[in-house]
Amino acid sequence: MTKQETRARERQPAPRITDVTELKRIAQELRRQVVRLVAPTGQGYVQQGLGAADLFTAMFFSELRLDPADPAWPDRDRFLLSTAHNTAIFYATLAARGCLPEASLADYCKDGSPLEINASERIGPLIEATCGSLGQGLSVAVGMAMALRHQKRDARVHVILGDGEMQEGQVWEAALMAGARKLSNLCLILDYNRMQVGGHVDNVVGLEPVADKFQSFGFRVETIDGNDMDAVVGAFARARAHSEAPTCIVADTLVGKGAPSLEGILGHNMKLPADLAARALKELAGAGA
Amino acid sequence: MSSASSAADQTVSDFIARGATGPLPRHYGDALVAAARKDPRIVALCADLPGPTETDLFQAELPDRYFEAGIAEANMIGMAAGFARMGQIPFVHSFCVFVTRRAYDQVANQVAYPKLPVKIVGFLPGLTTMLGVSHQAIDDVALMRALPNMTVIEPSGPEQLAGAVTAALETPGPVYLRMLRGDAASAGIAPKPLLRTGEVLRRGPHGTIFASGLSVAAALEAAETLAKDGSDVSVVNIATVKPLDTALVVELAKSTGIVVAAENHSIIGGLGSAVAETLMEAGVPAGFARVGIQDTFAEGGTTPYLQAKYGLGAKDIVAAYGRAAAQRHAIEKGRA
Repeated sequence: MTKQETRARERQPAPRITDVTELKRIAQELRRQVVRLVAPTGQGYVQQGLGAADLFTAMFFSELRLDPADPAWPDRDRFLLSTAHNTAIFYATLAARGCLPEASLADYCKDGSPLEINASERIGPLIEATCGSLGQGLSVAVGMAMALRHQKRDARVHVILGDGEMQEGQVWEAALMAGARKLSNLCLILDYNRMQVGGHVDNVVGLEPVADKFQSFGFRVETIDGNDMDAVVGAFARARAHSEAPTCIVADTLVGKGAPSLEGILGHNMKLPADLAARALKELAGAGA
Repeated sequence: MSSASSAADQTVSDFIARGATGPLPRHYGDALVAAARKDPRIVALCADLPGPTETDLFQAELPDRYFEAGIAEANMIGMAAGFARMGQIPFVHSFCVFVTRRAYDQVANQVAYPKLPVKIVGFLPGLTTMLGVSHQAIDDVALMRALPNMTVIEPSGPEQLAGAVTAALETPGPVYLRMLRGDAASAGIAPKPLLRTGEVLRRGPHGTIFASGLSVAAALEAAETLAKDGSDVSVVNIATVKPLDTALVVELAKSTGIVVAAENHSIIGGLGSAVAETLMEAGVPAGFARVGIQDTFAEGGTTPYLQAKYGLGAKDIVAAYGRAAAQRHAIEKGRA
């Protein structure tokens, strides 16, 4: 047995945090980090980040099996962000989990930095695929899930899709495959914040009844409040326990969640001037855990 | 089955057997199965074309490594990327036009950019099908050439189909294989290795024909005709279109002075373009002409009909040589 194999056997993934109060505290800190990342340059997606903070916190601190010291660990759970652009919260989460140096966040969206506004694998192996051309992440996740099953590995694949992204036909090609092959090691999370570039999803091309659609494609579907930490952690756990079908978690999220002055404002490319950022930080310091 | 049995007694297999002209040889498919038996990382994905892409044997012999993607090429490319990121070497199969033009953005983002070892295998290159414009890949080489990190390979004929598997596996990153099935007459043909460099099939001092795929045979035929008229030309099989053997292209253009590029593809963006780009940047003042589809969509028809109608045959190469020679003559005259 090589040294490397010994190391793999003795490996303990980073411990899962199961205390919901602690997860809520982390999510609130990540929200403040999102504002701090986006405010200086106006680059980055603040509304989406605040809305998805609970999903990312539960995903990286409670659900995913990973080892921050060895991001390429073959038996890690895979996570893909199919939209790729919600990086303020993604990078803040990776840094808080020890998967990115905190100091590197200072380069967010700066020319030459691997921390591009759309997550690129230039960062390293935890960016499992370079997405951003919408509709592609689920296909890659399906391939990974099939390969994991073929290799008889028990790692899981999680992929967050945006709601506007559901309008891409490729998503439904991949969903058909995931359902037909009963990929129970796959968990799709729909970050259903109702916002796309043109405004409210329903005013562009509505998705409803989206839960029924995924159910009819062979998914086990749960609809939850994506800003309720208990609900998110519970949904991930139930997905993990289910062995008959892939899971789709339709997570209703609120853009700007946590900062009352920003909540519900459908600003896809919203800038955050210094005064608004200061107010949001104040709100986020007072609320939550 | 007795001749008295009714149609209702017949199975689908009976009907297929009655319509069949005998199985085609599986030069590529057999080579892929042989390679997969040696290398457990190899998996095959196919978009509902196991027979036409010669992956039916793979499906039968290695069922746990054959993944049917259904008629969904964009998703198939994404899935292949997922397999590759898990350490497998996926060979993905469909017709040329569907694995390139239809799934281009997926190939660019999920295969080419990350340099994954996904081997994209297309059949029906250029004008080789009765199925018409929808199934005719006239721009696939141009599309795949334009992608960074992509290697583009087109065997000259059935003799190089098995070699294409070896070449794809010896290339560490993404590869596009542009394949044409061998006909029944090609059964038992001796395989030839597929080279990364240009393969000089015939040497002559009066000009050079660079050809790929179906056009290689046409180029050899054209060279025979030209020889009868006193022009002894070189013929080079360019099976690896990208990266192009630019050293050989420049060397032969300089030494022979007259260059023809011939391909079963649009004149835009394929072998002819690659040769022209090379010669211009090298400053080689050769006479030059392209043989290929003249920036037009075609139509469904038999291969000989299409190759003749759209100017891809030996006589078209002879004519192109004449144009290039006249141009060369004009260049020389201008110098004097």
